[in-house]
Amino acid sequence: MDTADATTAPPARDRTPRWRAVQPWLTLACRVGLAAVLITAAVSKYPPALSVQAVEAYDLFPADLARLIGYTLPLFELALAVLLLVGLATRYTAAVTTLLMVAFIVGIVSAMARGLSIDCGCFGGGGQVDPEETTYGLSIARDIGFAALGAFIAIWPRSPFALDRPLGLFR
Amino acid sequence: MGSAARQRSRERLREQREKDRRKAARMRTLGVIGAALGVVILIVGIGYAVLNSDRSGSEFDGALAPQTVQEDGSVVMAQPGAEAPVVEVYADYQCPACRQFELLNGDVLKETAAAGEAIVHFRPVSIFAQQAVPISSNSLRGGAAARAAADHGVFVEYNDLLFENQPAEGQAGFTVDELKEWFRQTSASEEDAAAFDERIDAEAAVVTQFTEDYLPALTEDALDQLGQENLSTMVLTDLMAWGADNGHDPSFLDGTYTGEIIDATGNAYTRYSGDNAFRATPSVYINGELLDNSTTMTVRGLQGAIDEAGPGEVQTEPLTDGGGEE
Repeated sequence: MDTADATTAPPARDRTPRWRAVQPWLTLACRVGLAAVLITAAVSKYPPALSVQAVEAYDLFPADLARLIGYTLPLFELALAVLLLVGLATRYTAAVTTLLMVAFIVGIVSAMARGLSIDCGCFGGGGQVDPEETTYGLSIARDIGFAALGAFIAIWPRSPFALDRPLGLFR
Repeated sequence: MGSAARQRSRERLREQREKDRRKAARMRTLGVIGAALGVVILIVGIGYAVLNSDRSGSEFDGALAPQTVQEDGSVVMAQPGAEAPVVEVYADYQCPACRQFELLNGDVLKETAAAGEAIVHFRPVSIFAQQAVPISSNSLRGGAAARAAADHGVFVEYNDLLFENQPAEGQAGFTVDELKEWFRQTSASEEDAAAFDERIDAEAAVVTQFTEDYLPALTEDALDQLGQENLSTMVLTDLMAWGADNGHDPSFLDGTYTGEIIDATGNAYTRYSGDNAFRATPSVYINGELLDNSTTMTVRGLQGAIDEAGPGEVQTEPLTDGGGEE
């Protein structure tokens, strides 16, 4: 009877029945995949003393800030992974994850532009490497892929097995 | 009442209902975002506290255990006659992870050595000797300066100063003037400082000759005659041995601390095998067994590994020509 919903109708593509059936599962797959990536990244950055060194290698922050980032970045990645897995504030978590990936890409590009030869420290490691051993292209491509996963979730946050649903979001 | 008026009031009611609905949705969204934010703060906060509790060990400011320079230029810090595990520490003064290790676990080394619970064997190396200047020259100058400080019994203090003042990789640092100034911050005497200065001037010249003349010429020749593939598998000391037979005389390194640290690095590569092989810095061995990263780079890990290990034997002999050790 009430047709007020028409004002919030999803874009045309979302209305094809097939997309409506498939999209939630794609989003779920992205959530799990991106969470797995984040957990791997966080765990491989342990112990934090090495993570600090990886941050310092970018030569972008003063020592105290680099230390803080080295300690908290893996924890932040872990927190985002938990939120993606349980599906809490899915759209916003995914958007923040995407922004984080963009920040990583900016960091890598800046290291590249300044002629540093470092490991990105994305999955542990980090620090100085031989100039011929840098893998900036690969690291950037990888981060673009992860950013795309995040963007997909942010655009289509509706998915099964998400806490958001009982809380009334993205049903 | 006309139907137009009824129509208007129904319209208003619907608008109001719609407004309420949007407001409720907004509140729901904000609530969920708030909950998510809470989760993030909780995980980061608790995690940060847990990780930091590892570093809460009190700073060591007691008297250091006696230091003894060894024949190969390494330094043993231990109580006389200590029966304790031997903790060998391989570090390059230009290596950032070594700096992190030193900042994190330097006090554990001092404390356990002072308490007779460990025999700490500092083995400075220069794994960066073949990198581009200034990485190579910083690494070598730092190593030679630490060795010169050891002549005056202040190796450990000077070692700390070098790591505290480590130049960012790829930036000039460890200058002759800085190295001399830092020596004056140790407990060494003015007389010692004069001798140290002289040594630093000499070593700095050797480092310059090594990194700017000798090594580039040697590398170019070796590249021509041996090829990139062979060259990339050779450690520096092997390359230099080849050079000695092929017109690149390394004798200017004889008797210098620069030469000594290059030799020490070469020996580190052949000293261990298999899983214990020396590959990178910092490398910490307890009684000849290489520790993994999470043991080396956490206070709890290193302290625990020292506590668990039995007594060991230092594998080098003390320097006997009275090299100023006190």
